[in-house]
Amino acid sequence: MRRRDEQLRGSIGHARPRPLLHRGFLAAGGVLLIAAFVTDYTYYATALWQWANFSAWLITAGLIVTFIAVILLLIDAATGRAGRLNTSSFILFAAAALLSLVNAFVHSRDAWASVVPQGILLSALSSVLLLIAGASGWSLAISRATETNK
Amino acid sequence: MRTTSPRPIAALLSVVALAACNSKGGDPDRQYGPNPYLPEPRAYLMPPMSVPKAVGWKAGETPTASAGLKVEALATGLEHPRTLYTLPNGDILVVETNSPGTEPFRPKDFIAGKVKARAGAGAKGGNRITLLRDANGDGQPELRTVFVDHLYSPYGIVLVGDTLYVADTDAIIAFNYAPGMTQITSPGVKLADLPAGRLDHHWTKSMTASADGSKLYVGVGSNSNITENGMDVEAGRAAIYEVDRLTGAKRIFASGTRNPTGVAFEPETQQLFAVVNERDEIGPDLVPDYLTSIREGGFYGWPYSYWGSHVDVRVHPQRPDLVAQAIKPDYALSSHVAPLSLLFSEGQHLSPGFAKGVFISEHGSWDRSPLNGYQVIFVSFIDGRPVGKPIPVVTGFLGEDNETVHGRPVGLALDRSGALLIADDVGNTVWRVSATQPRT
Repeated sequence: MRRRDEQLRGSIGHARPRPLLHRGFLAAGGVLLIAAFVTDYTYYATALWQWANFSAWLITAGLIVTFIAVILLLIDAATGRAGRLNTSSFILFAAAALLSLVNAFVHSRDAWASVVPQGILLSALSSVLLLIAGASGWSLAISRATETNK
Repeated sequence: MRTTSPRPIAALLSVVALAACNSKGGDPDRQYGPNPYLPEPRAYLMPPMSVPKAVGWKAGETPTASAGLKVEALATGLEHPRTLYTLPNGDILVVETNSPGTEPFRPKDFIAGKVKARAGAGAKGGNRITLLRDANGDGQPELRTVFVDHLYSPYGIVLVGDTLYVADTDAIIAFNYAPGMTQITSPGVKLADLPAGRLDHHWTKSMTASADGSKLYVGVGSNSNITENGMDVEAGRAAIYEVDRLTGAKRIFASGTRNPTGVAFEPETQQLFAVVNERDEIGPDLVPDYLTSIREGGFYGWPYSYWGSHVDVRVHPQRPDLVAQAIKPDYALSSHVAPLSLLFSEGQHLSPGFAKGVFISEHGSWDRSPLNGYQVIFVSFIDGRPVGKPIPVVTGFLGEDNETVHGRPVGLALDRSGALLIADDVGNTVWRVSATQPRT
């Protein structure tokens, strides 16, 4: 109760509200996964093997960073930084992460088959989902500070 | 206009379907000989794997020989023995070696490294050649010395006249040799460079010499499974080289042989033969590894196609012009057995059944379930051509549970008495297989 009051006072006043920890990692993970579509497309266009390599690493790194974001989201919830879950964003991100997980396995195939056709389709689809979700802010939850301000 | 289902959706549905399908390999019996059964290639999210755990041999344990033969350990405690070679005076050379080591390129490579370590393929090689002398032929060497040390992932070895040629992964090195020598101390002289480089995926350089000793033949493996490391690094690879013994001048004798791990001349016809390890990850029954005669200038398909004109869609851009030229190999050994060495028999020392033909060591699969290989087989020859089904000669390298592996056969040689020697790079042993009743 006391913490709540402080938070309220903090946001009404000019003191800085406690930021959501997961947002930066979510944005970084999303960007890496979208970048994998760009490198997939470049491989598709040029057949230069290094682009397929980049895609495999980008998807792996994107999934790791996104996983860290999920852990931070739980911390945000546990420490009272996060308020209500942003349901539509959460569904979009979850779907994109699942598709990217499958895509990590598709990208473990060798040469052309690692990207064409399934790999690039999966990275295109997850990029679209991520861009829609990202457009409403790289966040899976409403900040409690914002929520209490309403 | 006819309507078709949109291809992107079909492709995505197939991803889901793949996750659920059964991927057990069939009976290897369908894949022996000149016309193997070839199923449709498949793409996987996770290629089927079955990796037996390397446990080695306990005291007294040995592989199992076929009827009329017995197996004993000739030498133990070696450092990843791969190639065997018998010198004219009966001394036996054991090449102890392994890959020079490569850095991971893709996330997948980390997992591949773990798999290799479990199967016992990750052990460090001795980078040396050990000499064993068993002068009285009782199967107990009286002398064991380090013959040549400080080599660089050596593999092939052949003596021509008074020169011993050793194929390191990056060059052929020539050493002066005199009969009876137990140690070579003089530094070798480089005869010719061989394709190696930073990646050096299939690193072994198998080697043999023509009967007149004028030419050396060297098997050079591809730098990838199926060009996933780019085409640039495949220049001059997946080929069999002919090297002039006096000048070191070399040329590609045949190409498209993905990983020609053993080369040898058939004694009757003096025809060059090779065993070749084919590509992975398109199914447990694709692609059969093979034994084939090697034609000068011949192209055997890799990477564009397999078993003649079966196109591999993983290679891009494709080359229909080369696929049209691809030679169908002579004799399939079934899929993923990993043949590593071939040795033509020299008469009926072991058994009348092994008078004419070739012994082949099968290192064994890990990208197939059930496991395949892990044995030494014999393929009979008539008129210089392989015929019939392979006959198992030595088995029992796998544990009875099919989940542990005691040893994996690699190099083969005949000792002075005609006994078959087998290098085992997991058991770190050289096995000697001889007839239970001495033949006269």
